[in-house]
Amino acid sequence: MIPPMDAAEAPVVLAAHGISKSFGANTVLTDMELTVRKGETVCLLGPSGSGKSTFLRCLNWLEEPDAGSVLLKGQRIGVRASGNIVMSDGELAAIRTRIGMVFQHFALWPHLTVLQNVMEAPIHVQRRDKAEVRREAEALLERVGIADKAGQYPARLSGGQKQRVGIARALAMKPDLLLFDEPTSALDPELVGEVLAVMKDLAREGMTMVVVTHEMAFARDVASRVVFLDRGRIVESGSPEEFFTRPKTDRAKQFLLRYSAQ
Amino acid sequence: MTWYDVYAIFQGAVFTVAISLASIVIGLPLGLGFALIRWSRIPVLDRIVVVYVSVIRASPAVTLALLIFFALPVVGISMGAVTAAIVTLTLSTATFNTEIWRGALMSFPSDQLESARAFGMPRALRFRRIVFPQILHSALPALVNEMTLQVKSSPAIAVLGLVDITRAASRVGARTYDPLPPFVVALVLYSLIVAVFVMSQRFIERRRAAELEAAR
Ligand SMILES: Nc1ncnc2c1ncn2[C@@H]1O[C@H](COP(=O)(O)OP(=O)(O)OP(=O)(O)O)[C@@H](O)[C@H]1O
Ligand SMILES: [Mg+2]
Repeated sequence: MIPPMDAAEAPVVLAAHGISKSFGANTVLTDMELTVRKGETVCLLGPSGSGKSTFLRCLNWLEEPDAGSVLLKGQRIGVRASGNIVMSDGELAAIRTRIGMVFQHFALWPHLTVLQNVMEAPIHVQRRDKAEVRREAEALLERVGIADKAGQYPARLSGGQKQRVGIARALAMKPDLLLFDEPTSALDPELVGEVLAVMKDLAREGMTMVVVTHEMAFARDVASRVVFLDRGRIVESGSPEEFFTRPKTDRAKQFLLRYSAQ
Repeated sequence: MTWYDVYAIFQGAVFTVAISLASIVIGLPLGLGFALIRWSRIPVLDRIVVVYVSVIRASPAVTLALLIFFALPVVGISMGAVTAAIVTLTLSTATFNTEIWRGALMSFPSDQLESARAFGMPRALRFRRIVFPQILHSALPALVNEMTLQVKSSPAIAVLGLVDITRAASRVGARTYDPLPPFVVALVLYSLIVAVFVMSQRFIERRRAAELEAAR
């Protein structure tokens, strides 16, 4: 489970400092800090409504934070290096190509086949060679175990298959970082395993990932670090070993109790 | 009624088709443009489109045609009867198309847009690659319906002295003192024109279904 490189020395891929966000009077995130090093799998845990999705969406600026900064390999996201000018749609788009995202409800493009979904962004956003992208896309579908569905439209797939397409689509961009927002929450219980297995492989192969999840077993077995948030603040952060066996705060204890009771 | 009379009505039909097609070809993208302005909530322009749509939608085609033909020269814009007719029908169909496109845009699933954003697609690419191919299919039946309504409102431009199907038929009727046959011919011609629209829509939908089927 532990990445080949010593995690403490691996280069920092993502650094988020002092992220705060409110929707009107509702303060959702307060002064969030997160550093992710190359090869790490960071699991974000927390009760419903604690701000996990919002935080994840701030990392690639799908949501614009009210305060704080996000750096991808040292490059500021959302705000131009010179001064405090917010990036244009095009500039943001260019940076987002380096961050893959996997969605709870898949968010595949239904008018494109599975293969086309995977090839879409590499060809039209990254403008890479079509034949090469195709070869890679086919290899990715093979890797997530759905090569036989390449020519089908998403509507014909099971939830587990859709999510594996979602993962292949994100990998096709060759991103520096992958974000997952509850990738298995919309799945029937018997389909959860096939998606988690793919994610586990990615973690083992050294992909850098931030995963919002309610799958405690996954967090315990796969995460290199667990971050627990509650009401928009980081309450605990540490190794899964530590968090699951010796939670320090009452809130974390209550949270874990609810999951072990299920 | 002679064959020459039928030919005259047929000529009216050619004219009806020509100005209807012209207004449809211009009105479709125009309506899409207006809908995009509203959808992206571009300040000021957005309000202008709202006012434009509500004014034109409320105006009968005849009134609009007369307004454009007689009133615009007052402000220094003058145009021939045919141009005025095309402008009238275009403006009118564009407003209805605006609402149809806008409806399709509003009901477009936001999660797909979000994934397109997350995958680094800038606004224009998102629209071209993800949104447009899908709203085209969802809006198509309503758009074709609007096209047929458009053909049916085209006789209004007769007030500009132009001879379309209906005008040609009534001329024949007035001359022969037997209005029934020319209007039957007119009705048949309208039916044929509308049938072509409906058939092409069915053709597109069948092709789409076949595409989906092939991908099974
Ligand atoms: N676009 C929005 N507008 C207004 N409020 C929002 C918006 N998005 C999220 N919120 C609010 O922010 C808070 C945190 O939401 P968020 O989706 O980040 O929680 P979460 O931890 O992901 O929860 P869950 O486990 O249920 O997915 C909630 O109170 C939610 O109502
Ligand atoms: Mg969430």
